[in-house]
Amino acid sequence: MIISILIGGQAGQGINKVSKIISGIVAKRGYYTFNYRDYPSLIRGGHNFNILTVSNERINSYSHKIDFILALDTETLKIHKDKLTHNCEILNFQSFVGLGRNTNIALAGALTKLLGIEKQDLLDEIKKEFGTKEAEHAAEKGYDGQGKLVKYHLKKLNNKINILDGSEGVAIGAINSGINVYFAYPMTPATAVMNYLARKVLVIQPESEIAVVNNALGASFAGAKVMIGTSGGGFDLMTEGLSLQGITELPLVVYLASRPGPSTGVPTYSAQSDLNIALRAGHGEFPRVVIAPGDPTECIEKTNEAFYLAEKFKCLSIILSDKHLAEGEYGNDSKANKSIKLNVTRKVPGEELVKTSSYEHDKFGNTTEDPAIVKKNNEARLLKYKKIKKEVKKFEMIKIHGKKNSKNLIIGFGSTKGVILDAIKGLDYKFLQVLYLMPMSSKIKKEIEDAKTVVIVENNLTGQLGRLIREKTGIEIKNKILKYDGRPFLADELRKELLKW
Amino acid sequence: MKNLGTNYKITWCPGCPNHMILESSKRAFNNLIKEGHKKENFVIVAGIGCHGKIFDYLNLSGFYGLHGRALATGFGIKIGNPNLKVVCYAGDGDTYSEGMEHFIHACRNNSDMTLIVHDNQSFSLTTGQITPTSQIGFKSKIEPNGNEIHPLNPVKLALVAGASFVARCDARNIEHTAKILKQAIEHKGFAFVEILQTCIIFNPSLDHAREYMYQTENNSNMTRAMKLADEWDYATRAGRIPIGVLYKHTRQTFEEKHDVLVKMMNKKVGWKKYAKK
Repeated sequence: MIISILIGGQAGQGINKVSKIISGIVAKRGYYTFNYRDYPSLIRGGHNFNILTVSNERINSYSHKIDFILALDTETLKIHKDKLTHNCEILNFQSFVGLGRNTNIALAGALTKLLGIEKQDLLDEIKKEFGTKEAEHAAEKGYDGQGKLVKYHLKKLNNKINILDGSEGVAIGAINSGINVYFAYPMTPATAVMNYLARKVLVIQPESEIAVVNNALGASFAGAKVMIGTSGGGFDLMTEGLSLQGITELPLVVYLASRPGPSTGVPTYSAQSDLNIALRAGHGEFPRVVIAPGDPTECIEKTNEAFYLAEKFKCLSIILSDKHLAEGEYGNDSKANKSIKLNVTRKVPGEELVKTSSYEHDKFGNTTEDPAIVKKNNEARLLKYKKIKKEVKKFEMIKIHGKKNSKNLIIGFGSTKGVILDAIKGLDYKFLQVLYLMPMSSKIKKEIEDAKTVVIVENNLTGQLGRLIREKTGIEIKNKILKYDGRPFLADELRKELLKW
Repeated sequence: MKNLGTNYKITWCPGCPNHMILESSKRAFNNLIKEGHKKENFVIVAGIGCHGKIFDYLNLSGFYGLHGRALATGFGIKIGNPNLKVVCYAGDGDTYSEGMEHFIHACRNNSDMTLIVHDNQSFSLTTGQITPTSQIGFKSKIEPNGNEIHPLNPVKLALVAGASFVARCDARNIEHTAKILKQAIEHKGFAFVEILQTCIIFNPSLDHAREYMYQTENNSNMTRAMKLADEWDYATRAGRIPIGVLYKHTRQTFEEKHDVLVKMMNKKVGWKKYAKK
């Protein structure tokens, strides 16, 4: 059973509140949810919509078919008229006059009724979320005040569902790792991590991303466990600082949440087009780790691994995400692995004399141009990468999903995990999810060689993961399903594509 | 390694006033250490340029950062351990060109650290291009007809941006500079010291201006500070040049605004010890 609910209206009308109320209620009843958020870059007006998908089985994506449209304005029905199939039920704001800004709550109330859920569950959720009489009144008016027939009876299920978005996952992972300071400059879609962390730890917002990375390295030098976060343009500004990390060998964790480029691009939408810069940004040759979690639980785990590796090897760890994962709200029953605890053990100023430098330097931190030391330091950086390669083997660098013995292999990374899992349900496909992009698992080659058909799925124009695999394995994957309109894949759309092969 | 020096070979040009700034710095640090400051608590930060070489010549903890970013790095060090005494060395091109954003925001933030600018009005390590403080008419390889861009007045800019300690020094006046540097480091809040020096190779024009320099009393009046800042014109080199503490007042520091940093200051620890479970 899958129920898709589209909630549309202007920015500021409380669309997110509706999906939050509904997903809160159904999750409590043991249903899985996935909420997709679609909004332009503005604060009030325009057209925003969420698609909340509810299921009795795990769900990690959304599809074209819509069962309910909750319209907070007249535009919504015009814009989404293609989705008005004969089975689609419309709940319109016009049915609830006089509620003002609480109209959204009334619509949530009306839907709760149609899903066959008791009124008390609705009121409990409203109390938790708002705690005002006006909100409760609006919810009741919605629940009682519409004459439509109850369409579903969502019986209680035995699942323990927890709703998380990728941003919160990254924030939890950072907190589990004992983060001390998060430095960031606001930029969609990375900002949510900053907002979550600001409630728990010291968050500093300096003048620019250039300041961010230099601040963070300064704090790391002084002994703090730090993380910084940004999106493509901000990451570009940080590039020189990443190179500075390479030579100073100070632990640094970077959260890169990408969005469609080039340049300002399509700021509130999604793409996986920044894998290349995550792998290569920064001049000179120095080691780094690039990890792409595929859901909020993996965000928790992989952020912790990124901290662990940064601290242990005094290296650069990049967590690669995108808007779809960062802001997609996943109602799931999976639990994150126990996190690795880590303490800062390196020498820090204040305790003893410590020097570090952006110049090539000797072991005392003094500048050097001596060819023997330059050579030795370069080799030491290479050796460090070899050690990292060995260490990461203890983590899940890839995951195999779907039919384990299938000869049809689909490969993807990051936010496409969810939609691939949903699209291959019941199909003869094995799904290889790449979590570590650098270093990369040596098992990937064998998986490709063992398969008869290999298809790569990426949310970008040129197939960056495919090129990386080719670089590492010498194998060119010709079958590519690429989407680059700024929107994530939909499950039915991807399934249709897969059936072509 | 006596007297905070290192065994590192000094590669500044013979006669460069940077040698004197190094000497003033050593005297300032030594006096502070004599008065009870722990040597391990000093951290120097340098940008990139001739000035930055001072990093290798001072036997103190430090971070030799990027061009323009000394202040950004220094600010991070303060966040990492607010008990450290952070002293940033930077050049005029370094601070007022590439690093201008950090300069203005450091003045606003009032983090408890010091910025020392070796202002020789030229990019010298890259062989003599103009900087934002080069005088009108300064001839360089890329400005054969002379600089036509109006220079900025960093002292005035710092005052407007909210710096709580603004001083100017003459690099060749070692004793006076040492005294001012000590006060700057002792100041609670962001202290900015603009040290006027010549580049003896590419822009020696300031040498004759030394006769117009005079020492002022410490001042804490903003109106008077703005007048002092206006006395000397960076563009035409006209006017008298006041040196000394041109403005000083105390206001809440950046670190004092964050509870967790205050706790660390009270316990006299950085994150490493504070966060240890």
